Amino acid sequence: MAVVTAPRLAGTANPMVRRWGGPVAAFLAFVVAWKLANRGGLTFGDTPTWIDAHIKPWFDQLYKWIVRNNTKNWLFTGFLTPISHALRWVVSGKNDNVGVLWVLHTLRWPGVLALVGVVGAKTGGRRAAIVGVLTLAGCGVLGFWDATMVSLALMVVSVAISVLIGVPVGIWAGLSDRAEKAIKGILDTAQVLPAYVYLLPAVVLFGIGNAGAVVATVIFAVAPAIRLTSLGIRNVPVVANEVGTAFGSTRLQLLKKVQLPMARRAMLLGLNQVIVMAFGILVLAAVVGAGGLGQAINEGLRKNDVGLTFVPGVCIVLAAIALDRITTGERKASSSSRFQTLLPSATHRLVTAVIAVLGVALIAKLVGASSFPKSWQIKTAKPVNSFVNWINNHIRKGVPLIGGTGTIDDVLVRDLLIPLRNTFQYVAWWLTVVIVAFIGWLSGGKKLALLCGFCMLGIVSLRMWDLAMDTLSQVLVAVLISVALAIPIGILAGRSNAVERALRPILDAAQVLPPFVYLVPVAFLFHVGPVPGVIASVIYALPPGIRLTSLGLREVSYATREAAISFGATPRQELFKVQLPLAFRSVMLGINQTILMVFSMVIISALIGAGGLGLQAVYGLTKKEIGTGVAGGMSIVLLAIVLDRLTQAWGSRSGVDPSRSV
Amino acid sequence: MNISLRRHAGWLVAGTLITGLAGCGSSKTAASPSSAATTAPAAVTTAGAAGGGAAGAGITIAVNPWTGSAVNANVAKIVLESKLGTPTTLKDLDENVTWPGMDAGDVDAVLEVWPSGHSADMKTYIDEKKSVVNLGLLGPKAKIGWYVNSAALAADPKVATWEGFKDAATAKKFSTAASGELGQFLMGDPSYVSFDEQIIKNLKLPLKYTVAGSEAALITAITQAETDKKPLLLQFWQPHWLQTRVKLTEVKLPAVTPECLKSADAKDGNYACDYAVDNLFKAASAKLATKNPKAAAFLTKLSLTTEQQSTIAAYIDGDKMTPDAAAKKWVDANADVIKGWLA
Repeated sequence: MAVVTAPRLAGTANPMVRRWGGPVAAFLAFVVAWKLANRGGLTFGDTPTWIDAHIKPWFDQLYKWIVRNNTKNWLFTGFLTPISHALRWVVSGKNDNVGVLWVLHTLRWPGVLALVGVVGAKTGGRRAAIVGVLTLAGCGVLGFWDATMVSLALMVVSVAISVLIGVPVGIWAGLSDRAEKAIKGILDTAQVLPAYVYLLPAVVLFGIGNAGAVVATVIFAVAPAIRLTSLGIRNVPVVANEVGTAFGSTRLQLLKKVQLPMARRAMLLGLNQVIVMAFGILVLAAVVGAGGLGQAINEGLRKNDVGLTFVPGVCIVLAAIALDRITTGERKASSSSRFQTLLPSATHRLVTAVIAVLGVALIAKLVGASSFPKSWQIKTAKPVNSFVNWINNHIRKGVPLIGGTGTIDDVLVRDLLIPLRNTFQYVAWWLTVVIVAFIGWLSGGKKLALLCGFCMLGIVSLRMWDLAMDTLSQVLVAVLISVALAIPIGILAGRSNAVERALRPILDAAQVLPPFVYLVPVAFLFHVGPVPGVIASVIYALPPGIRLTSLGLREVSYATREAAISFGATPRQELFKVQLPLAFRSVMLGINQTILMVFSMVIISALIGAGGLGLQAVYGLTKKEIGTGVAGGMSIVLLAIVLDRLTQAWGSRSGVDPSRSV
Repeated sequence: MNISLRRHAGWLVAGTLITGLAGCGSSKTAASPSSAATTAPAAVTTAGAAGGGAAGAGITIAVNPWTGSAVNANVAKIVLESKLGTPTTLKDLDENVTWPGMDAGDVDAVLEVWPSGHSADMKTYIDEKKSVVNLGLLGPKAKIGWYVNSAALAADPKVATWEGFKDAATAKKFSTAASGELGQFLMGDPSYVSFDEQIIKNLKLPLKYTVAGSEAALITAITQAETDKKPLLLQFWQPHWLQTRVKLTEVKLPAVTPECLKSADAKDGNYACDYAVDNLFKAASAKLATKNPKAAAFLTKLSLTTEQQSTIAAYIDGDKMTPDAAAKKWVDANADVIKGWLA
């Protein structure tokens, strides 16, 4: 295989250099710098002031102009204001008397549950209906029915708009390579750019409350809809397309009858990801006046009451699961429920379903069941608080041998985070740019070298160098810990169905539970500073690493493993010589996702003392320094792009392609 | 034929059900959100909206994320609704987002602005754009300052004044893994006004300025230091609900001088004195005066003493009452004060 690939790789003679050169060079450069930086002495100067893109003043000016003109200029009065009114109307109106929220209120809780059940039965069969009804009812049992409805109205509208925008753009990107390339950078930015940066501009442009919140949510959540639609269309086998064309389909027919149906699975996964991401923004939506569950979490945070933040956090998870199950439920082709056999006509079923929902709602109205019954509710804030207190008192210190989390914090700060930050900040900025570009060249050739170099120069020109190096050190530590945990756990899950099943709900919760919920407990266990941010990032970023490692192992074909075993491989050999090498790409994708998720936590970390770029981005909202916020946010994006592209290159350079191994 | 009839019959039933549900939708008992943001009952709201420019036009008051703000807003809501017939919506909102809200008229008033954090907003929206108006002082005064906990005073009573921190050994008692040889100075939410970095530099104190990142993180650090009996130096303020739970002592900083205030305005980096007292004030959207002049007049007159405000705040933070119940309890017991606002 090496012989085959060698001629292609002009520039480096040996493919081993290509594959391992990047990581090795990075490591060597790093060891030298660490030694020098922590010895002291010679230091290099700051980044030169003439490299300055003037992003800060430019955006400050733009924001000022918007604030001055948002009641006069036609752009606002004729275009944005009507959009804003429409958005607000669709969600709930100014007094909750129109739109989706009105529908939810009018149906009352029994009607809403009936609606969820009927929609779930239609899309995903009985299972989806039951899960949907039970999870949403759970929000009521936990005592947050009304707040859940407020949030649900916002989410339904945001997710619908994300799909309405995402699917057409995704189709376009799936059909045209040029479109795909043009959009990629924008999508990366939208996913990594902290919402704090554009929250205040969204409010000034679209107004407080639901309008601004919907806009911010859509910006944040639309990317997966586009990405996975495009992926689905691109993955349609060439044969299928050719058969369609051979039978004389027009391009539109081909799209409607062949490509979209075959891309359905990927698109549904996209919808699932849109929902997950959209629910993640609820806490910030409450900051701009959208209320609901996010507001309940904010109140708990303000009072430093973990129980008060935890319960609405769980409701967010439950509501997200409910919406996910009833919209993305993949119905098996053969399943025909009794409902379907009784009423063969589709129109009949629809009418009956509508009547059933309305009937339940009307009965609820006649009975006077307006709010979720109090007697069904349980109070969980107190037990949660006593559990957290117990952990705080027993885990933080006085644990034999390791001393407790407080001690771990001190060690991490003194021996890892601070020296690492010093190292990155010590190395002259231009040298770092060159080194990163060089690593890019080793990993992926000239193009990647240029990209990496430009991104790093971009950070210099945003005037954020030192802060970026501080953030980089924390991000790397969080990624290292995440990967070190994710791969072994992923291997366990990949080899044992019991472990996989046990992990799934935990991973789901870790991905959807807003990090704000565990922010305070984590900060209390460690000390306010960089460590709690690292820990919170690890919690948030673990799931994709575990999932993709496990997926990679499971995708190794049974025949291959069988062959290894019949050649006398021990289970250990089978894992290390067969499964892991073949799962390499999937594992690398997991690491790659982990990195992106750690970057999306930079902001949250800044709220518990991490400083760095995250804090700058927070200023965009809290100090109304839009320019600073944009510069900080863009620097986070640039750093993330560098690390993302580098790891992607390492992953795709692997000689083994699992899909071809059969 | 038969099938189409049945189909129509189905839709007919559905239509009837919808009419049944929605027809008297306005009479539904408004679902009461569990948070502080309670919407006015639907029937009242509709009446208010229909009134348009009349005296009863509904208004929206912002509630910023601290207890004092909820106190003022809930007291105002009760009086506005019971005495002036003005349906009032309370909206939970970040303080920075409140200003664009008033600018657009989505928010009609905010009853507790801490001027120290909003000089730019006051300039932009009150002075330049004139879309927001100052409704006068609320009454209570607030004070930002340097605070130490009781463990700090026990370890070294010198830290009651800033001079105590000149001693490197004293300052070291406040050190952490991250601050090294220097003492840690903790600042909470980065959006709050802060001269601490300048004060430390200009008074040449061996302290390291550290940003906790949020009020939640700051309070976590305080409770942690209390549990561990570890000295802590931080920027904090009065009034704050935590002050009733944890004993925090204000550190004496050099007195405020005119030169000092000048350097704060000039942003020359020479600030080296205590924080000035914050006179909390009320602000409203410029549209309020035409939309509901009676409400505007009332909100201009509304004022609470520090004592009155902290009484109601204690109902909420201490007795765990909801903000609306706490406000009602106080309003019922203080009819004469209310009468004064309406005169």
